[in-house]
Formats: sequence, structure tokens, C-alpha cells
Amino acid sequence: MLPKHILFQAVGLTCLLGLSATGHAHFGAVIPSDDIISQEDGRKIEIAVKFIHPMERHYMHMAKPKQFGVLQAGRKTDLLPALTGTKGKAPDQNEDFTAWKTEYEIKRPGDYTFYVEPAPYWEPAEDAFIVHYTKVCVNAFGLEAGWDEAVGLETEIIPLTRPYGLWTGNLFTGQVLVNGKPAAGAEVEVEYLNESPGNPSIVVPPGDPFVTQVVKADANGIFSYAMPRAGWWGFAALSEAEWKLERDGVEKAVEIGAVYWVHATDMK
Amino acid sequence: MRNHLSIFLWALAFFLGTVHVALAHKVNIFAYVEGNTVFTESYFPDGKPVEGGVVEVQDQKGVTLVEGKTDEKGLFHFPLPKKEDLTIILNASMGHKNTFLLKGSEM
Repeated sequence: MLPKHILFQAVGLTCLLGLSATGHAHFGAVIPSDDIISQEDGRKIEIAVKFIHPMERHYMHMAKPKQFGVLQAGRKTDLLPALTGTKGKAPDQNEDFTAWKTEYEIKRPGDYTFYVEPAPYWEPAEDAFIVHYTKVCVNAFGLEAGWDEAVGLETEIIPLTRPYGLWTGNLFTGQVLVNGKPAAGAEVEVEYLNESPGNPSIVVPPGDPFVTQVVKADANGIFSYAMPRAGWWGFAALSEAEWKLERDGVEKAVEIGAVYWVHATDMK
Repeated sequence: MRNHLSIFLWALAFFLGTVHVALAHKVNIFAYVEGNTVFTESYFPDGKPVEGGVVEVQDQKGVTLVEGKTDEKGLFHFPLPKKEDLTIILNASMGHKNTFLLKGSEM
């Protein structure tokens, strides 16, 4: 017979693990060192590519993406060969997790949309694979053109709000597309990146529902969310793919996510 | 008389319209070097070219080295006059102005 307090601990732990499996939202992340490049900044930016729980700062292993590139002035450039492996972890994680990074030189004015198609990630807790098509836009040298162009991914968010130069409190509006068509009623998960550079203090959510905000898109796939804090915000619109992937001889569902990252800045 | 007034009003509306567009958009100039040529692009934030803008190139002592005008695509290029930091000034219509510092290290 186990002592009672150990039994309680075991029950508590089980609850906790259960919660963490359902309560954390997965996010593909593409985070540039800056979202606005001016002539004082120099022309090089760093771009981090990872698979994380943004609010909890937890990393997951990310295999080398299938696709990583940039769309500028209607032209796509493959940047996959320039991607190098790196490691990351939250303070409360014991092991290092694989993430990716690269350096990119901005040569001309305009909007640069960086996009990632990851390799499918197997999530046992959801009994499904996850593929998050992730984008972020960097503006260079005052030419604000191209941010609303579609990359042409299986699913993606098209920003309806110009996705840079945003103040804290601004409403971010986007349209969710699946196979190029508006995704009516798509569920959009929203999280704050707690490891945002310049975040003055780590946000501690007072309850589970605070971790991931949820908004639903309207009949045209359009959603909005007002960002209450300076830093990076991730928007993940989730759908189930029409295709399946096999795991150990069994067909499994694939969750496809259209993820978009924007940065909010305090008015001072 | 009525005819004159209506022409005047149309002209006024057109003029105000133009002013409004120009005020809402600041001008930008961007420059880069390829070989021994400096290429410049002048544009409004939405990508519309600044046509007929005056471009002036100064060294760090403020001496004017090159002067020219942007074409219909907002472009102007010139041979690299000196391998040092250059200040490239764009003077567009109605006092709209911006500068770009082209660093010697990029030449």
C-alpha cells in the first residue's frame, strides 16, 4: 500500500501532465531579429526558425524544414541551404531541442515575406501529425509593397493589416486561406512570445485559458485580435488536411496550421 | 462665367487632390553599388516612383560631387565618384526630401 501523500502526488502529476498535453498550443515560429530595416540598421538580419509553445517558452524538436524561402517583389528565393541547426530550451526544460537559424542580407527596398514549410511533426498526444506553414514579413528601407501577397502555401494567413510598424493595442486582421480559398469559421490560436527581446518581465498566465487566446474567423476566413503587449505575437489558424500520413502502418490525420507572426511596439 | 468657375473648381479639386497624395507619402531614396556604378531608386512608400526628383551626391565635407534627375521609374545612376561615405540627397517636389548614407565599406 502506497502512502497517501505519494498517491496524491501521483494523481496531481497525472492531472498536470494531462493539462499540459491539451493546454499548450503548438506554434511554428519564424522570428527575425528586426521587422523594420532602415539605413541605420545595416543590411543583415538573423532569422530563427523553431517549433515552440510561445507563452510557456517550451521548445520541441524541429526536423530540417521541407521548404524555407523568402518572397520579395513577387519573386521566391529558396533559403533552405542557408539554414543551420541550433539548440534551444526553456529554463524549465532539461534537454536541448533542435531549432534552426540563418542570416540574411537585405539588398533592396521592399517587403520580404519569409516562409517555412516544416517536416510533419508527430504529436502522440493528439494522435496526429502537425504541419505549420509559418510566415513573417520584414520591411526594408521604407518601401511598403508586397506584404499582402500570397506565397501559395497549402494554408496561409494573408495579413489585412500591414504586418509591421504596429503599436501595442493595435488590431491585427488577417484572412485564412486553405488551398487558396477562404477558410470559413477557422479557429485561430493566438499566443504571446514570452521570450520576445525586450520583454520586461515573463508573463505568468493566471489560468490555462490565458495561455492561448482563441478567435474564430468569419465566413470569409477573416479574423481580428488586439495585441495587449509589446513583443512578438503568433497567430495559428488550424485545419485538418485532406490528406493523411502513415505511422506504423496506420493512417493518421494531419493538422495543418497557417501561422503568422507580427511585432507590436509600445507608444512612447 | 459659369464655365470659368467650373474649370476653376475642377483645377482646384485636382490641385488639392495632388497635394493630399503628396503629403500622405514621404519620399525615400535607396542606393547600392555594383562595380563602379552607384544605382539609386527613389520611391513613395507604396512603391510609386518619384519622377523628376533632383538627386545630389555629397562627400562628407558637404562638397557636391554629382547632380542629376530621376527618370520615370525613379532611377538615377552615376559612376562612383569617390570610395568613401557618400550622402545622397533626394529633393522631390514641394519640399519633400530624404537622404541615404552610402557607406564606403559597401563600395
